[in-house]
Amino acid sequence: MAGPSPSPHKPRRKAKQRAGNATGSLSSASSVETSVRTPSFPLAAFLWPARGSVSQWELLPLILMTAGLFRWAAGLWGYSGFEKPPMFGDYEAQRHWMEITTQLPISQWYFHDLQWWGLDYPPLTAYHSWLCGKVGSLIDPSWFALFSSRGIHDPTLKIFMRATVVVSEYLIYVPAVVVFVRRFSKLNGVASWPASVALVAILMQPATILIDHVHFQYNTVMLGFVVASMSSMLAGRNLWSAVFFVAALGFKQMALYYALSVFAYLLGSCVFPRINIPRLVSIAAITVASFVILLLPLVVGALYDARRGIDSRPDLDGPRPPLPLFQGLAEYLDTEAFYYPVVEQLVQMVHRVFPFARGLFEDKVANFWCALNVVVKIKNYPPKLLQRGALIATLASILPPNLVLFLRPRKTLLPLAFATTAWGFFLFSYQVHEKSVLLPLMPMTLLLAGNQGLSKNTRAWVGFANILGCWTMFPLLQRVDLVVPYTVLTLLWAYLLGLPPTSISAYTQDGSRSLSQWATLFVHGAFYLAMALWHVLAMSLAPPPDKPDLWVVANVGVGAAGFSLCYLWCLWRLMLEGETLPASWVGRAKTKTQ
Amino acid sequence: MGDIYPSLLQCAIVAAAFKVLLFPAYRSTDFEVHRNWLAITHSLPLWEWYYEKTSEWTLDYPPFFAYFEWVLSHVARLADPAMLKVYNLEYDSWQTIYFQRLTVIIMELLLVYALQMFVDSAQGASKRAAQAAAISILLSPGLLIIDHIHFQYNGCMYGILIASLVLARQKSSLLLSGLVFAALLCMKHIYLYLAPAYFVFLLRAYCLSPKSIFRIQFLNCLKLGGGIAAILGTAFGPFALKGQIPQIMSRLFPFSRGLCHAYWAPNVWAMYSFVDRVLILVAPRIGLPVKEGALQSVTRGLVGDTAFAVLPDITPRMCFALTLVFQAIPLLKLFFQPTWDNFIGTVTLCGFASFLFGWHVHEKAVLLVIIPFSLIALKDRRHLSAFRPLAVAGHVSLFPLLFTPAEFPIKTVYTVLWLILFLMVFDRLAPASSRARFFLFDRFSTLYITVSIPLIVYCSLMHGVVFGKSYEFLPLMFTSSYSAIGVVGSWVGFMVVYFTS
Repeated sequence: MAGPSPSPHKPRRKAKQRAGNATGSLSSASSVETSVRTPSFPLAAFLWPARGSVSQWELLPLILMTAGLFRWAAGLWGYSGFEKPPMFGDYEAQRHWMEITTQLPISQWYFHDLQWWGLDYPPLTAYHSWLCGKVGSLIDPSWFALFSSRGIHDPTLKIFMRATVVVSEYLIYVPAVVVFVRRFSKLNGVASWPASVALVAILMQPATILIDHVHFQYNTVMLGFVVASMSSMLAGRNLWSAVFFVAALGFKQMALYYALSVFAYLLGSCVFPRINIPRLVSIAAITVASFVILLLPLVVGALYDARRGIDSRPDLDGPRPPLPLFQGLAEYLDTEAFYYPVVEQLVQMVHRVFPFARGLFEDKVANFWCALNVVVKIKNYPPKLLQRGALIATLASILPPNLVLFLRPRKTLLPLAFATTAWGFFLFSYQVHEKSVLLPLMPMTLLLAGNQGLSKNTRAWVGFANILGCWTMFPLLQRVDLVVPYTVLTLLWAYLLGLPPTSISAYTQDGSRSLSQWATLFVHGAFYLAMALWHVLAMSLAPPPDKPDLWVVANVGVGAAGFSLCYLWCLWRLMLEGETLPASWVGRAKTKTQ
Repeated sequence: MGDIYPSLLQCAIVAAAFKVLLFPAYRSTDFEVHRNWLAITHSLPLWEWYYEKTSEWTLDYPPFFAYFEWVLSHVARLADPAMLKVYNLEYDSWQTIYFQRLTVIIMELLLVYALQMFVDSAQGASKRAAQAAAISILLSPGLLIIDHIHFQYNGCMYGILIASLVLARQKSSLLLSGLVFAALLCMKHIYLYLAPAYFVFLLRAYCLSPKSIFRIQFLNCLKLGGGIAAILGTAFGPFALKGQIPQIMSRLFPFSRGLCHAYWAPNVWAMYSFVDRVLILVAPRIGLPVKEGALQSVTRGLVGDTAFAVLPDITPRMCFALTLVFQAIPLLKLFFQPTWDNFIGTVTLCGFASFLFGWHVHEKAVLLVIIPFSLIALKDRRHLSAFRPLAVAGHVSLFPLLFTPAEFPIKTVYTVLWLILFLMVFDRLAPASSRARFFLFDRFSTLYITVSIPLIVYCSLMHGVVFGKSYEFLPLMFTSSYSAIGVVGSWVGFMVVYFTS
């Protein structure tokens, strides 16, 4: 829409001016939301009085406080593994990491009693746990006492843990999203009022609140670094974007879902419109430097501990065990050399972070493989074949979007490309968890801040993906008695954005309804009906005894189909906006989407 | 003209979502009180309701509320029959919590309806202001803290009160207004504090001719009197037949309680106690006698029966007299100018007088002032500047109701959000007054609001760090003395506004 985008790299001041121009020239097209006389969905109604005269700085604190209140209130509910011995859940895992990082020398972190929630996230999570654990120990040291604190469910500890999630999110994710929304909406010529509406919608996204603040995890820290990375790309600060992305990877390996898009964009911006070798070199250097800084505490710690004579595995006697991975390496290395503890430490970290030995999928998750498993028992195939199949399918699904991004490294395409790539990973890659759906949902929801972001079409698709995403996590939430927060937060978000099941206004238009709108209504309607029906059935009927997983499997099947549609929609939009489609198609598509 | 957004219903839906999320939050003994009443009304015959005392939380609301609990109990049976056993003390299964909390949210629809009536009754340019005031009441942190966390049914009862106040706006529905208020009195007798305003207003506007106060409209008197008698008869009749009225009265008006409630309500008696505490330190130097017996109660702080060490003791009779005197002043003006605005002003001032001078006033009663005041706070800027300190003080004074760490962020952030949002919105919506603003009052309210920040920080964080668990009464005393200044300031300011407009 925005016409051919200028070259992706320009001095910052000019970029600002460009955004200003865009606002002027596009105001007629994109300020539909501000010029209409009645708000078209409830969230717009809530911000209705703030149109025009109210400044961002009056509105922003109110938005952040409201979002915070909902998060904290949701956190009053139980967390995963609450009073569920013997292993408890994610909450215990995070608490346990605070325990081991504060109580053990750094060289033992990745080795300590791996059977009890051994640390399996990258180092930044470990440092974050250390910081939280240190602060928490000031309040009550017994929360993080070695061994004796396992499975503790002190109510004050719960408040502290909830507070760490909220504080981490408000330090990283929330500022990143606020800045991103400002930059992205300006880039697309969206006025500040619709951008505020989009900001509320993004912050109230039910899936993130449910997983982080209710079920318990720190996904928003990783997601926040990714948003910060995208936001830096928008600002043209490619070096910062590399730094932030390394931080995201260093916090949670799941950020790899986006890695190819980051790579494609950064590479693309070094190649088009003309090849820029110094930029490529500096990005590469900064990336390497960031990784070095990320690993430095671990490396220095390993060396220091080795010198002090602290073994990374005090529980083992006798000769050093072989490396868990890259065993061939051992032939070239001297196990007594001074650098060996470092190699051992890093290999162990990689081994913990990337569990290659596990199966194609663990639990029931709404991706392609798990859905396929219903039809063909693919678990019976040799794992090597499955791994190769997953690799090929993933590559096939993520190459097209990243090719578009590489050839057209435009800032406006970033959320679409990130979303498509993450959907590809979620659907086809190896070892997917149902919570991973947060990764494609995040950039897709950011579309709300873009051009025509609050239009019915975009709202319908973003809403569909989010509600379907929450719905596929229902079995996970139900297991820990979180049905009420699930219902409330999902319905609230659907209500705010005027989406089914509370309203079908996103699918209707005054006047004539186009073919594509009918098609969307029909397809989405079928999915919403299926979800509602599933809830009714799962609530009222027990599954037949010979198929105890029937409801979960049905959930997976519907979810995988819906997510595939989301993937296709994102890919379609990306190609459309990236102007990579033949002109004849585009003409037809334009009439369709109008 | 188009509708004003957001609508009340939209706000109610989002607020309800938030309130459902608060289900697992802290709940006070009032939760058990109401469960016990469900059990009493469900499992005992009518005649034993006001005699039953298995639980210490005996039924001490008037009969309509008991009937209301009786109706609820029939639904409660479907949720969890175990909560309806009188001996099942402190019973709080998840079903019980869901049921009781949900009834509060559902009953609050009455408030939404009444507020919509209020908005609809406003005309022209003031409609936008009415909508803002209505939303501010609907989202009031007071109702959130008291009803949805602490646990009570104020929302629906204030809904009835507002409905009655709005009905008084039309000449044709004056009778209904009086009857609705009578019914409200039979639900919760705290509204007796507002009754003088109703009495004077209905007497003047309904029972006496608008032309002359010496011409009595007998038909109207008959209708009103008969209606009220019928309502009182329905409420108390069955009990009167068995001669249980004295027992009910002893339950409804327990005069054996002390001057100040456990947490001090921010009224003149809180200031009085504060001065007394200060005098204990000063008195020996200036030669005033200190009563030894009262000193014990100083350190306890959280006492029911406050004894004063230096200042003279206060009797219920003195409280009663002071309340009446300060209610009578605005009533006089209402009698001679029975307009709706004066009526709401008088209701507010009656609330003020009883809150400030009443015996054993609970800090929750501050809503009795805030809610009627909200209806006219946006009349002009002078009204608003009197309302502002009350909005801050009234809500801050409710903070001690919730003392658990998990609810701390909710009560503070929600209240701060509400204050920023509505004081900002009110500021834009309140029209300028035709009269000059009075000297320095705006400065007072700005200074006052600023002081609240260090106060909240001290009471909620610093005190615990510095003193730990000792001197627990200090933050309570600071909070209530601070709030008392705001409430008294607001009262004085509004008195001036009321008599000069």
